[in-house]
This record gives sequence, C-alpha cells and structure tokens, in this order.
Amino acid sequence: MIQHIDVHAVLQESVSGVYTDLVTRPTGRVVRERIERAMATWQDPVTVARIDFTGVGCIDYSCADEIVAKLLRDRRAVVVLSGISEGHREAIEPVLAGHGLAALIERRDGSGELEALGAPEAAAALLHELVARRLAVRTPAGTIALTLA
Amino acid sequence: MTRLVDVPAQFDDRSFEQFAGAYAEAAKDAERLLFDAHAAEWASPYGLVGLLAAGQAARSAGSPDRPLLTAPTHADVLTYWTRAGFFREAGELFEIHGKLPRVKPAEQSDVLLPVTPVRAAEDVHAVVSNIQQRASAILASELGLDPKATMGFAMALSEACQNIVEHAGTGGWVAVQAYHWRRKLARRVVMIAVADAGVGFRHSLEPTQSKRFGARWSDAAALEAALIQGVSRFRDPGRGQGLAGIRRYLARWDGKIAIRSGTARIAIVPKWDDDVPLKDGLPAFPGAQVLIIIPEQESTTP
Repeated sequence: MIQHIDVHAVLQESVSGVYTDLVTRPTGRVVRERIERAMATWQDPVTVARIDFTGVGCIDYSCADEIVAKLLRDRRAVVVLSGISEGHREAIEPVLAGHGLAALIERRDGSGELEALGAPEAAAALLHELVARRLAVRTPAGTIALTLA
Repeated sequence: MTRLVDVPAQFDDRSFEQFAGAYAEAAKDAERLLFDAHAAEWASPYGLVGLLAAGQAARSAGSPDRPLLTAPTHADVLTYWTRAGFFREAGELFEIHGKLPRVKPAEQSDVLLPVTPVRAAEDVHAVVSNIQQRASAILASELGLDPKATMGFAMALSEACQNIVEHAGTGGWVAVQAYHWRRKLARRVVMIAVADAGVGFRHSLEPTQSKRFGARWSDAAALEAALIQGVSRFRDPGRGQGLAGIRRYLARWDGKIAIRSGTARIAIVPKWDDDVPLKDGLPAFPGAQVLIIIPEQESTTP
C-alpha cells in the first residue's frame, strides 16, 4: 500500500502564517512528527510512503536532516520523495551523504521512475532491497520503477 | 559616570575591532555607556548589527540606565541608517540623541533585508520568506549567479539566523544588502550580517567539547570546531549541518564567511580576499557576529 503525504499541507498546518519554506529545526521536527503520526494511523499497513514536496519552497539543511534523514533512519516504511526540485536536492543530498543514508526520489517527468540520492553504497543497497522485495522492478531502460500504484 | 565608545567613521568588519576594543575598555566597570556615532560616514550591515549587539550587551551588563547613542549628524548617513531599519531596532536598546528622519525602512533598494530581529524560529521563516523574491533578481541579474543559487542563498541565510535561535540564548539581528564594493573588489557583492550578544560559541560548545581540547580550549578552538569540523553542542549526529552547508554554498560561489566570537575570529578566505583565517587575542566582545559575502561572478564582469 502506498500512502501519499502532502508535505506542503502538513507545513501549512504546522506553522502559523502562510509560509511555504521548510526552514528551522523546530519546524522540521513538528512536520516530521505529523508525518510519523499520519503513517502510524493509516488504516492499512504502509509499505511505501510517498512524501510529496510539491509546493514547498526552500528546504534548509536543518529541515532536510530533521525530516528526511530521521524518517529514513526510522525505517517504518520505504520512503519515496516526490516533487523534489533541484534546490531541495541541494539540501537533502549532502545531509543524507553525511549520515551514510540514501533516499528514493521519484522523477518529476511523470514516468514513475526512481533514482536514489545520498551515499552511493546506501543507494545501491536500497535499490537492491527494493527489487528483492518486489516493491520495484528494473525497467527495460535500466531504470527502477515502483510496482505498486 | 558615562563611558564613551566611539563608533568608527567607516564602520565595517575591519573597523569593528577598533570598536570592540573601545567597547571592552568602556564596559569594564559596568558604567553607563555612550556610543558616539555622530561622525559616522558609512556603515556596512555588519557595523549596524554589531552596534545593536553592543547595545544589547550594554543593557544587560548591569547599568540600570539604557546606553546612550548619538546618531550620525550627516543627513545622508542618518537617512541610510533609518532606511536600513537600524533605528527601528535601536530605539528599544538605546536612549538616542539626535533628530531622526521620518523615512520608512527600505522596500525597493539595495537593502535586500533591513535590520531584522531574530528571536525565534518564526522570525527565521519570515526572513527566508521575505528575502527570496528580492534576492532572486539581485543574485541572478547583478551578481551573475545561476537562478538556482537563490535557494542556496536562502538556505545559507536560514542557517546563519538559526545559530542565534539555537545557540545564542538571546535574540539577535540580521541584515542583507547588495552593493558595489569598490575598495576591495571593484565588483558588486551581497553581504549577510548576523549578530547577537549572547553566550558565544565557546560557551555554547563548552559542555561537549572543552574536554576534547583540554588546555587548548578557547574562543578560537570553539570557532574552529564549529566552522571547520562541523561540531555542534548537540549530540544528535545530524547536528552541525548548518555551517557545513553554508561553507559548501560559499565554496561554489567563491564567497567568504567570517565568524567573530569572544576574543577570536575565524574566516574561510577566498582568493580575492586577504583576510586572516584565524585571529586570537582580540578585544572581548559578547556573542557571535557572522559575515557572509557573495561576490559578483567574474565571468559577468564587463
């Protein structure tokens, strides 16, 4: 089962005002805790959590660490990041590499293809695990795509 | 008795040491301080937020009276300081002497972000939200940075401000300005200045780091640990990302960062600058003062 989580909506509920940027560690903590609650209370067992960053402006390193790195360390489900812009990657990639972690990124071209971002060894292991668990398949073009809709 | 602290006529990160020396001398006996800026001709954002930090420190130093501030007498300087948002913040800290012009803080000028207080995470959200649209135009069209660099700039600004919220134990200020830096570079630059009069890096890192450094533990060692080694006072392995991220951003755009705290100052010095990487034994000044400079990219210079 894939659970879709709209980070922009979570952010709007989490901080006062109409900010679209994921900045500061306290904000990151609140947003992550809300995401974790949503994952924990989902009616079906969550295999894949698609964390959608569409509509989010800037992400700083503190939020990248507080949200993405900690969700990945928790390993409640396979986390797929979607709606990730170049700017988001700039914050997320070094944070993950620093932790020796990797995350799956859903390409923005609508193909559903995945790539791994972060520490190279962790990225390779993550893709291997996904295919082994049949959560993803290798496409004829050599890319990886989720098997679940 | 009132002690005098002269504000340098050209008040920037270089002349700040002269100011800090005068402040350290005057603040010794907890008398009321008079900051004399009447002869000021120019101040960088670093000078302005540094002066506010001095006022903040003087207010909490023991004298029951607010410190005094003599405003610049030159009309243009006075107008600029007002437009930069300085007096809006100074009014709460100082008893100001001098007639202030009735102008609003800048909305359309090279002042990308007027002097803005940073006390809580909410303030950092406001700063990042306000800066992006204005910075985007300046960074891309005037500094020749890739438009994608705007988000990195916002990230760097956010992390610099968060140092106050997370480590200072008090509020501080941030200001961002673009200008043509004739003296040094003959190019345009964007300058971020952040200052507070809080506990400083040494105090913040002491519980987790002082043992590791032993007798070498000092303001300089604390700055080196934070900026070069990415050490944080928190044991969480994800901490310390902020300054590391700022360094990465500046390395990409040939920028500079300098942090002064206590009696030391550390800098990551790009080729275009002749600053000293680490200075120790400076006059004691409370809190932390951060300077970030991003220059116009050389390929865009005519």
